[in-house]
Amino acid sequence: MNPDDLKYHKEHAWVKASGKRATIGITDYAQDSLGDIVYIDLPEVETIAEAGNELAEIESTKATSSIISPVSGTVIEVNEKLADSPEIINEDPYGKGWVAIIEMDDTYELDELMDIDDYEKFVEEEAK
Amino acid sequence: MKLTVIGSGPGGYVAALKAARLGAQVTVIEDSEVGGTCLNVGCIPTKSLIASIEVLRKARRLDEYGIDLKGEIHPNLAGMMERKDKVVATNVRGIRALFKSWGITLVEGRGMLRGPSAVEVRKKDSPTELIETDKIIIATGSRPALLPMFPPDGQRILSSDHAIAMKSVPASMIIIGAGIIGCEFACIFRELGTEITMVEMMPGAISTEDTEISSMLERELKKKKIRLITGVRVDSSEVGNNVVNVSLSNGVQLTAEKLLVSIGRSLNTENIGLEALDIRRGPRGEIQVNNRMETNVDGIYAVGDVIGGPLLAHVASMEGIVAAFNACGLDKRMDYSVIPAGIFTSPEIGSVGLREQQAAEKGINVKIGRFQFRMLGKAHAMGELTGMVKILADAATRKVLGVHIIGAHASELVHEGALAMQAGLTVETVAEMIHSHPTLSECIMECAADVNNEAIHALKPNA
Repeated sequence: MNPDDLKYHKEHAWVKASGKRATIGITDYAQDSLGDIVYIDLPEVETIAEAGNELAEIESTKATSSIISPVSGTVIEVNEKLADSPEIINEDPYGKGWVAIIEMDDTYELDELMDIDDYEKFVEEEAK
Repeated sequence: MKLTVIGSGPGGYVAALKAARLGAQVTVIEDSEVGGTCLNVGCIPTKSLIASIEVLRKARRLDEYGIDLKGEIHPNLAGMMERKDKVVATNVRGIRALFKSWGITLVEGRGMLRGPSAVEVRKKDSPTELIETDKIIIATGSRPALLPMFPPDGQRILSSDHAIAMKSVPASMIIIGAGIIGCEFACIFRELGTEITMVEMMPGAISTEDTEISSMLERELKKKKIRLITGVRVDSSEVGNNVVNVSLSNGVQLTAEKLLVSIGRSLNTENIGLEALDIRRGPRGEIQVNNRMETNVDGIYAVGDVIGGPLLAHVASMEGIVAAFNACGLDKRMDYSVIPAGIFTSPEIGSVGLREQQAAEKGINVKIGRFQFRMLGKAHAMGELTGMVKILADAATRKVLGVHIIGAHASELVHEGALAMQAGLTVETVAEMIHSHPTLSECIMECAADVNNEAIHALKPNA
């Protein structure tokens, strides 16, 4: 189940905003499509993130792909635990598997993201 | 016909053997050991160490393969070096035996041209010898390039010649130059436990490769926790009691136990008598030759690193063969159009032909296929998921123009691509040939198919 208090990006990333702090992760659909995640190349703290651009690289037994940043801002924290145990993303994509926290330049970008209903419709469409 | 070859690396010794087979009376002059850089301090010793490192890496993954180990694994550098020395010695004896078998005279000392048909040999403990000859092949090779501010002392500041003979594993090492040699040593010493920081002037590691391949290598280096600082120069260094301190152009200060300088190779063109004979040289000091390997002086040929070019052992050997044919009165031309090359990092790289960035520079319209090792069963069975193949084909003729591979056995796999290029095959021909299953070679077939979006083991692209 996708949580209903999050905002979703079409590249299958989620955002949990609290003021200007945005916690970023990948969705359950993304982790399921990737399969067993074996490596994540985390951004460094103070990296400038841009909405729609790569935030991190992720590698699974099936594929390598990018995690796209859903918002713009500065990375202020990354989930270091993922470096040694990337499988946490598979186990808990919306909780312990969060990827990074971004201090957003502006919160208006959040309005451009999908809510849960739109995202689930989007995934259904994409799966067709 | 008397032929004298100066230098017995992969250019010189192969030239000597080819000429002897063609009936020449051959003398080889060598001032160090037969086999040159490649056999004594280059290709072969590094690959011997890398073989040990590969075993170590696999041993550290025993549990993944379902093998229990009672006790601990300890790399023994002295043992690895001993094995490496044995491998080198065996191969040195092998070349000496080939020389003997083909009646080639080996004269040990430093060769110097004394005219178009005379070479002087300066020996260590005996008087100089003058060799009269009909033809000469210069194959004096190259040596590690040095930076004046970091003269290697073999203790704190090392060249690759020192790194290949290390007595102990340093806790930390700064490597200046993230080219082929720097990256290979980084992978070796990192596995042994050394903290590695690489410093590179160019924007990335091994910038001569296809950028997609080199960025994948950079990511693999990062996984190993090898630090790579790019786009910076080294301003100064200072040797302390037990450390080397280095200042970078971006203000960063680094400290390590050892400093390895791997910034390329200098050509061995000094003190061999080129000037007196007015042998024509290029801007880097390289001896200039035509496609018959002839210098501007009649009867004098040059092959290998000393003529510049790609500085690859196998290219030197082919140049040696071409020079031997021509010296023996036959007509052979050197063809550089297909040169496969391996880089023995972890994972390995194998490449041949056009890189994507070169296609863009030259305005060549290409179609590109990509295929990941992890899509194939064999990669999973082997436990070698990391890897990809990339093929560039001419968009109009469909001919294979470049094949770039990173992953297990890449340096071997690349030869299928090289042969396809040599034979002028299209990607369709490569894709249509039945490839044995289960093998990593299936990646080449699938990648060739992917040029037309027809790889079987590829996910349906997003609409």
